[in-house]
Amino acid sequence: MAEPRTAGAIYDLGYQRYTGERLHNANSVRTLFGFSLRTAFGLGRGARSKAIPAIILAIVFIPAIVSVGAASTTGFVTLINYAGHLQFTAFLITLFAAAQAPELIVTDRQYGVLTLYLARPLTGVLYALAKLAALVAAMMVLTFGPQLLLFLGKVFIAASPWTAFTDEWTVLGPLIAGTLTVSCFVASIALAISSFAGRRAYASASVIGFFLLVPAAASVVRSLATGDTKRYLVLAHPIQLIIGFGNWLFHIEAKRRTAVGRAELPGSYYFAVLLGVIVVATTVLLLRYRRNDA
Amino acid sequence: MSLLSTRDLTKSFSPDVLALDNLTFDIEPGIVGFVGANGAGKTTFIRILLGLLAPTSGSASVLDMDVQGDRMSIRRAVGYMPENDCLPIDVSGADFVAHMGRMSGLPFQAARERAAEMLRHVGLHEERYRLIGGYSTGMKQRVKLAQALVHDPKLLLLDEPTNGLDPAGREDMLGLIARTGKEFGISVFVTSHLLGEIERVCEHLIAIDAGKLRYNGPVAAFTELTERLVVELDDESPELATTLRSRGLDVDGTATELRITLRDDSTYDLIRDAAAELGAPIARMQLTRHKLEELFRDQVGAHG
Repeated sequence: MAEPRTAGAIYDLGYQRYTGERLHNANSVRTLFGFSLRTAFGLGRGARSKAIPAIILAIVFIPAIVSVGAASTTGFVTLINYAGHLQFTAFLITLFAAAQAPELIVTDRQYGVLTLYLARPLTGVLYALAKLAALVAAMMVLTFGPQLLLFLGKVFIAASPWTAFTDEWTVLGPLIAGTLTVSCFVASIALAISSFAGRRAYASASVIGFFLLVPAAASVVRSLATGDTKRYLVLAHPIQLIIGFGNWLFHIEAKRRTAVGRAELPGSYYFAVLLGVIVVATTVLLLRYRRNDA
Repeated sequence: MSLLSTRDLTKSFSPDVLALDNLTFDIEPGIVGFVGANGAGKTTFIRILLGLLAPTSGSASVLDMDVQGDRMSIRRAVGYMPENDCLPIDVSGADFVAHMGRMSGLPFQAARERAAEMLRHVGLHEERYRLIGGYSTGMKQRVKLAQALVHDPKLLLLDEPTNGLDPAGREDMLGLIARTGKEFGISVFVTSHLLGEIERVCEHLIAIDAGKLRYNGPVAAFTELTERLVVELDDESPELATTLRSRGLDVDGTATELRITLRDDSTYDLIRDAAAELGAPIARMQLTRHKLEELFRDQVGAHG
């Protein structure tokens, strides 16, 4: 935007009092949410901050775009598979969370920006909640975004979009519930872990470590365990949890050969464990930031 | 309206160490300096004012708002510039200051306009569109000041604003502080461990040492308390010291180097006249001052 450049005048403006509107304190939380959501995708940041989010966005959206494209040219709407896509994104969003959760909270502490936030009408707990909401929203873009694309593809490819919509719209509820639960699960874990790290790299490594080591440990224990213990240990594996949960949500029979299929656990168990982890991780995160509230 | 008010304010981080020890004072709006050596409790005091730390006992209020009960209202009315680094690296100065304006309650468009104005006010021009990571220390200090001013606070809390700046940068920053306080009617509470700079911009001064209140009053009186005129002589002239003392000056030091408490400009005349009468060979006269630490040590020594 060009600025008026009349000689001298620009420097004589100096300081001006502000007499305009001042918004309620809740505005601070909304502002932090919006700013953090943009940060999660590297918007308003340098070029390097955009690389990882852009790559992951491409990876999750391209298959959806290809599915819709293939379905529209071949006419086989059955190519579109919601549950399959949720499983496919499960691993990618853990990578996204490992890269971006530290970006959201560790850098604020590392560079001291948190001090400025806490000197504003905002508490430590509200700060943490805004960050959690922002990361969940960012992950909804990655999980629900492609699903919505698949849904719209299904509707508009159909000979009669309205009929297709009325047939298909009931799937939107489980779609939103499913992607939201999975996003909260991964985001709360990633932020809780990051809240203990002093540097971004340590936080990222710890989050990736968690999502790699916990399944590895679970597999080892499972190979030693027998009977019911063996069956229940599938719940200790983050990715299997998401798969089991997705099957339950979309009423899909788990394949016999898979870990989830062999465990033969009720689908609600997966959901309960996911919820439990979300509550614990969120509590840890909020407790970490409550220390800042005198 | 009182700017700041404390009653028996005490903060201890461990049972045997008091960061703030029974501070009680009231300050009127204006430019207030808060001096103390490093570790004297300056940052602790500011953090209590912002409601970031709870006092161990006693109370404090900012603009007649209690630091415990009204901390959100205080934070809306106050701009804070911390001593340490507090800026992200991969955001532009303009974006960051606008964001901080919105965090303090300004609507989006107003925040952007105010951010541009404030960055211009502190002397950042085209650089404001570059990422902060590429700024010099001086530019970062300016951004820190701009973000404290963006929401047009009633009171600025500046913690060691000249830290890390070169002499020219210090001059600029002190000039900005003086202008902000005097021309725009924003009260300023500025801490420093360097008395020399703070007294040039402040009207009122508070000095603390090891958490205890040492001075609370106009700057001029404190300057008198701390300024010393050093008079070096080529030859020993014990009579000079005696004569000056007899004329009412506070003199100590050695036979060839006198240290004289400066009252006002007439002190110079007294020394000149006495030296002329006695033919004392003055080699050099220099205005120096006690370091804060020395001053407080002397006082502590004197009292007990």
